[in-house]
Amino acid sequence: MTGRWISRLLGLHSWAVYVFFYAPIAVLVFLSFNDNRLVTVWTGASLRWYREMLENDQVLSAIRNSLIVAGVSTIVSVVLGTAAALGLERFRWRGRRIFDGLLYLPIIIPDVTMAVMMLLFFVQVFGLVELAFGPKIGLGLATISLSHVAFNISFVAVVVRARLAGLDPALEEAAADLYADRRQAFLHVTLPLIMPGVLGGALLALTLSLDDVVITSFVSGPGSTTLPVYVFGLVKRGVTPLINAVSTVMLVASMLLVFVSLIFQRGDGKVPQGTRQ
Amino acid sequence: MVLSGVTKRFGDVTAVDGMNLEIRDGEFFSLLGPSGCGKTTTLRMIAGFEYPTEGSVRIQGREMGLEPPNRRPVNTVFQSYALFPHMTVAENVGFGLKMRGVGRSEIAERVARALDQVQLAHRSDARPSQLSGGQQQRVALARALVNEPAVLLLDEPLGALDLKLRQAMQVELKELQERVGITFVYVTHDQEEALTMSDRIGVMNEGRLLQVGEPEAIYERPTSRFVADFIGHINLVTAECAGSGMVRIGDGAEVAVPGVQGAGGKVTIALRPERLHLTAPDADIPAGANRLRGVVRRRVYHGDGFTYEVAVAGTVLEVRTENTPGLVRYEAGSDICVYWDPSAANLVED
Amino acid sequence: MAAPVTPELEAAAERAQARRGLLVSLPAYAYLVVFFAIPLVIVFVVSVFGRRNPRGATVYGPPTLDAYRKIFEPGPDGSYLVLEIVWRSLWLSVVTTIVCLLLAYPLAYYIATRTPRVRNALLVLVMIPFWSNFLVRTYAWRVLLGRSGPVTAVTSALGLTDTPMIFTVNAVLIGLVYGFLPFMVLPLYAAIERMDWSLVEAARDLYASGWQAFRKITWPLSRPGVIAGSILVFIPAFGAYVTPEILGGSKTTLLGSYIVRQFLQARDAPFGSALSFVLMSVMLGATIVYFRTGARNL
Ligand SMILES: Nc1ncnc2c1ncn2[C@@H]1O[C@H](COP(=O)(O)OP(=O)(O)OP(=O)(O)O)[C@@H](O)[C@H]1O
Ligand SMILES: [Mg+2]
Repeated sequence: MTGRWISRLLGLHSWAVYVFFYAPIAVLVFLSFNDNRLVTVWTGASLRWYREMLENDQVLSAIRNSLIVAGVSTIVSVVLGTAAALGLERFRWRGRRIFDGLLYLPIIIPDVTMAVMMLLFFVQVFGLVELAFGPKIGLGLATISLSHVAFNISFVAVVVRARLAGLDPALEEAAADLYADRRQAFLHVTLPLIMPGVLGGALLALTLSLDDVVITSFVSGPGSTTLPVYVFGLVKRGVTPLINAVSTVMLVASMLLVFVSLIFQRGDGKVPQGTRQ
Repeated sequence: MVLSGVTKRFGDVTAVDGMNLEIRDGEFFSLLGPSGCGKTTTLRMIAGFEYPTEGSVRIQGREMGLEPPNRRPVNTVFQSYALFPHMTVAENVGFGLKMRGVGRSEIAERVARALDQVQLAHRSDARPSQLSGGQQQRVALARALVNEPAVLLLDEPLGALDLKLRQAMQVELKELQERVGITFVYVTHDQEEALTMSDRIGVMNEGRLLQVGEPEAIYERPTSRFVADFIGHINLVTAECAGSGMVRIGDGAEVAVPGVQGAGGKVTIALRPERLHLTAPDADIPAGANRLRGVVRRRVYHGDGFTYEVAVAGTVLEVRTENTPGLVRYEAGSDICVYWDPSAANLVED
Repeated sequence: MAAPVTPELEAAAERAQARRGLLVSLPAYAYLVVFFAIPLVIVFVVSVFGRRNPRGATVYGPPTLDAYRKIFEPGPDGSYLVLEIVWRSLWLSVVTTIVCLLLAYPLAYYIATRTPRVRNALLVLVMIPFWSNFLVRTYAWRVLLGRSGPVTAVTSALGLTDTPMIFTVNAVLIGLVYGFLPFMVLPLYAAIERMDWSLVEAARDLYASGWQAFRKITWPLSRPGVIAGSILVFIPAFGAYVTPEILGGSKTTLLGSYIVRQFLQARDAPFGSALSFVLMSVMLGATIVYFRTGARNL
């Protein structure tokens, strides 16, 4: 008898948590279609704020900057991170332990500490460059991208490594046994089989890059503001319908990414029989 | 193919210990031994996945040295099959040819032929995960054979199959090997499998190769206690040399064993249960046979025969009789006589 | 048959293997040394060798622990401002962790006990907020809790209070819980889902009540998930910056914001660096606990 009640309560609680998860988002999306200048005074549905968003040069340039930084840092960190995962999971070499530890640090280090690190580092480097060569360089998209790669490598490596660890090493041996050299074995066997991990890592890197506020705001210069940093600046000054519209666009973008990844995973996400021992 | 003085150590563990072995062209050679004795490690050194700590591997007269697996004229059938899950059956089988740069039409032709050989032509577009265990096994076989290697290495290829399928595949494999004429090096811990399929067998224990020979020689004339005990059932009796080809066992009864020399030394003699015969205590036995009187302790029915445990001369011998018409059965407790031809006994080292 | 002994063969193979491993890892390794390890060292150097001059620039001199000492010293007005901020960050992140655990455990248990199809759907519903933009999700609460926001409208209609919750500690707490709850649900789900349910049945069979079975079987078996989730929530909550900046007020400054302020406003890099180092040490400590308890194997 009590068991029934407990499971009722569990269900009720769970649905309440889901409401907690989604109600704020739903309200935000709903209000982004409000015509009124005051966010919480509903006067009628309109796409007014979306139109304004598309006419706002600062928003557009922030979007452009975000896409550049996210694209560049994702590509670079996927290549470097996948290589690091391979180096750690498939080879034994001296110094491997140290590298392993170093690779975990960016994941556990707080955003704020990393932001401080990158700022002081670039300031020092710029100082040295100015001293040695003369030209004055400053913070911008390059420093943002470099910083994002620094934390994204680790996340990509962890995800790819998990996938590699689940891969039967006999498959790679079989490729070598069947006359594939190292490059061919990697291209024809290893890479296709770890692809879900690589894509998962890329998605994570993309999301983290598009999410980051603290580190980016420390290492961005004039004209290199990204969308989250720009929105963050606006939010600190107050609530506006424009932010609601931009936020909705950002939400839709992240959900699209998730669904794309779910579709990708459906095909090859499950460990095929042959890869299990 | 020649292995000379091959030793492999993993840290403190010596997986393979000073192995010398010559495998002839076109033969079906089995490596037989208990779990952990170093069979897989030996195979992996031949394939090139592992390099010997000491010693050398020569294939077709060519020193292998540090050659990677892709430059060795051998192919492997893995225990887990290691079929590429993201490729179709045909792509799996054609992989080796593609890597060697064989033309597309020739690949298609040879793949079709190889799949035909293992009766899987109709499944060429399936994924490995859609196949049964036995079918996967045959794809793995076709994938290796299509490359026409000098040597095919098989690591317990039938280990994952159930008994019926296993027996069917044993026959199929043996026929295939005879047809293609490729050297097979076959790893198994199943002695029956080794005996029925092999031209020659090498028995391993704790990294060492103990005896190499044809199945009959291994079974009939084991040279060591381990080989005798590992293969089939056997009675191992400790005895003392009593001079002039005689040994003294247990309570002092003397029996003839060919090849025994001197007196006073300890030897172990091995007797197969089916080479021993039972008769009434006072019945006639063939001339020259050894005889011991004893008591039946237990009788076990096997369907195709009986196994008796007989207490004789201070030890217990196992005797196997076949279930033929008119067979005389002996009850537990009855007095009995065990006899055998001296040539059935075999001296083994401890 | 003379056996040619080639002891150098295996060693050569191992050397080749080591060379290849290093070569493959080298780009990432070098990158992290240049763009992570060196910056970390610089922060440390600044915190120990640097001092702030009256114009807000950093000058270097002999090593000193002044920047670290400043954490424990009272400010000009006699209050221990820094310690208060550290203490507030600590208890807020602890409370966040506990609230997340209380909310997530029943949810994770519920998801794990559904049929596979329902389970997958419910899981995707947790994943979506997990992947959605953090800033946006926090901003949503700014709208909800704001002066004329829906939550305030409800509370005043119910006659509870007219003052909006925004810019209070409670608002920050809600934001932190909302932001990090998915990090708690997912490891808890993983731990409960992989549990051997026959153990619970065996316990029930041995006359344990439902509650006893939970206490003695389910809870201990899900402990790794509890630990993993707690660490995953505690670490980012302790260093939080975005949430307190958006939802908090002047009286709810947390360590993350305070550090940022040292750089963007107070221009005291040595002190900010020292604080960053302290923050990082707490995280490392928490992470070591995480690895020690084996929760990593989830
Ligand atoms: N990579 C390795 N590292 C350390 N020890 C190993 C390694 N590979 C094998 N060994 C050890 O070497 C010994 C022989 O192993 P091997 O796999 O060759 O045995 P096997 O005869 O194939 O056994 P099985 O019948 O169980 O497959 C074992 O003690 C094993 O633990
Ligand atoms: Mg083996």
